[in-house]
Amino acid sequence: MDMVAAIESENWQVNGNNLINTSVEMIPMNNSTVEPSACSAASMVDSFCPQNWDQQANSETLSNLDSVRANLGWNPNQILRSGVFLPAVPGMIHQSLPHFPADSAFIERAARFSSFSGGNFGEMMNSFTIPDPLNPYSHTFASMQGPHEIFRDNGYEMNLAEACKEASFPVEHGTEMSPLQNEKRRENFLRSQEEVKNAVDILLNESGMDEFNNRDPIEKFEGAAVESSGQGLGFKKRKRIAQNEKKEAPQPCVETEKDRVESKPKGDQDPASSSKPVGKQGKQGSQGSDIPKEEYIHVRARRGQATNSHSLAERVRREKISERMKYLQDLVPGCSKVTGKAVMLDEIINYVQSLQRQVEFLSMKLATVNPQLEFNIEAFLAKDVLQPRTSLPSSLTFPPDMNVLYPPLHPSQPTLIQSGIPGLGNSSDALRRAINLRSTAVSEEFKEPSSQQVPNAWEDELHNVVQMGFNSSPTIDEQDLVLFCISSNLASFID
Amino acid sequence: MTSDHISSLRNPSSIKTRFAHRFVLALKKLSMDRASSSVSMADRYKRYRKVRAAAYASMASSVGPKRAWARALLRKIRNRKMGSNLMKRLGSRTGLLKKRTVLKPRNHREMGSEQENSLRELVPGGEGMEFYRLLNETGHYIKCLRAQVKVMKNIIDLYSN
Repeated sequence: MDMVAAIESENWQVNGNNLINTSVEMIPMNNSTVEPSACSAASMVDSFCPQNWDQQANSETLSNLDSVRANLGWNPNQILRSGVFLPAVPGMIHQSLPHFPADSAFIERAARFSSFSGGNFGEMMNSFTIPDPLNPYSHTFASMQGPHEIFRDNGYEMNLAEACKEASFPVEHGTEMSPLQNEKRRENFLRSQEEVKNAVDILLNESGMDEFNNRDPIEKFEGAAVESSGQGLGFKKRKRIAQNEKKEAPQPCVETEKDRVESKPKGDQDPASSSKPVGKQGKQGSQGSDIPKEEYIHVRARRGQATNSHSLAERVRREKISERMKYLQDLVPGCSKVTGKAVMLDEIINYVQSLQRQVEFLSMKLATVNPQLEFNIEAFLAKDVLQPRTSLPSSLTFPPDMNVLYPPLHPSQPTLIQSGIPGLGNSSDALRRAINLRSTAVSEEFKEPSSQQVPNAWEDELHNVVQMGFNSSPTIDEQDLVLFCISSNLASFID
Repeated sequence: MTSDHISSLRNPSSIKTRFAHRFVLALKKLSMDRASSSVSMADRYKRYRKVRAAAYASMASSVGPKRAWARALLRKIRNRKMGSNLMKRLGSRTGLLKKRTVLKPRNHREMGSEQENSLRELVPGGEGMEFYRLLNETGHYIKCLRAQVKVMKNIIDLYSN
């Protein structure tokens, strides 16, 4: 184990310096997890490495294998971290590696393996010169440790599980390994498959492989590689990986992995708390075709955002709240231009307050109306109470000054308040002061630029009162008293 | 606006119709119970309070128990009514009983912003809710308040004309 660790670390230094550095830069969180898992990674790879190393020492693809091994060295770490990925996966790679020199379909397989990891690989395949058939593999694997590294590695891992399903058995037959190793590998592989299947069952409804196949064709992948990789376990994670790779190449890989990690425990713990549906994953565009129906809805961390489970939940909550705010924005009149949560809340509060005051005001009016008129319920219900009456002039221009409201009086209104007005035995001076205060307040509200609707409500109220209270020949005192009523009602009839 | 009343016409059990019926019945009851018209300020104020309580109560009961704000509103009205009844009978001792504010989980109240808290105060029953739920209730509350105002205006207009 020590030797393996030593050799591994040596490899990492040799080939993986760039790997470690770059991936460390990109994923600072990985640092903490690399060390603890290094030993277990060693233990995991232990079962495979010694045998493979014997072979690799002999093969001329030593450099390639080193890079691959280093590459794979990362994988177990992430496997451990994610808890989903399989320790057997790197073993599979090792098995298939000896085939490279001999396999005429090496490039295809390499493409298949690497195609999972992203469109960038496709680009690299095109852009890199290919001195010999082995190099693209090594190149791509070595250079895969770019910004997309582990992201691709994840895809690589996941898809390796599948590809290994195809390739493993023929590979196994072809290798010169001992039957013991084969058994071990096979059982590991089966176990891994089981684990993967369990993870899939836990997380997702089983989706058809067809969907994955449907999604890929137009992407940058090599078509054949894609289609071939579409077989196997067509579960959602891979699709999302592919999806993300295609859409957002520079996306840091940790996000997706962490996201999957987080979404898995999320899915386990709280299936009911569904977050955003996968179909609406923010920046990551949709494939356009049908997305399989899931039991749990996963949240994907967006680029540049924290992937802590708490922050993910926070983000979901914030998005729900903003959605609600938009709905409220439609509900509250005159808020279409307002942006921002605080201003919106202010508007909502104002609107609710104005509506409540209107109710109070109208109930006060009703209270005064009641003793005057008989309540003819049957006549009431016969008429349609719900139809808006047109007694109020509908086209009211909005006067900035309250005095303008006085002239358009409707003398048809009975003097309902007048009977109550003499009861208000207040001095006219105090009234005038109150009225002045109130009028300034109201006119200020009238001039309020933010919304025209809230002042309209005030306008309606005032107009109601004006209609109600004013006779053909109102006296100044009566006007004052009515306004005093308004002011006191609107200002202070609070519970 | 027109779509509102058209929809309420077509839908005989919409909130508007339900509220209108209940409110009119409550008003009738109030007018029958009340003594003959008294013009004193105190009486008018009392009447006003009753009418307002009737308006809110009929609105809340026509909304139904599904909405938290309706339940809270009814609870508040009943508490106030019971409190006032007890006040009449027992005098000053009921001052303690009047404080029937239920203790809400404090985390909902403490962490809110200023506007959030004022919204909580406005919407009945908003104290114990999370913010998201508060927004939901606010939306429904606004709709019902609007309907209430329309119906009351129509009633007044009918009476006035």
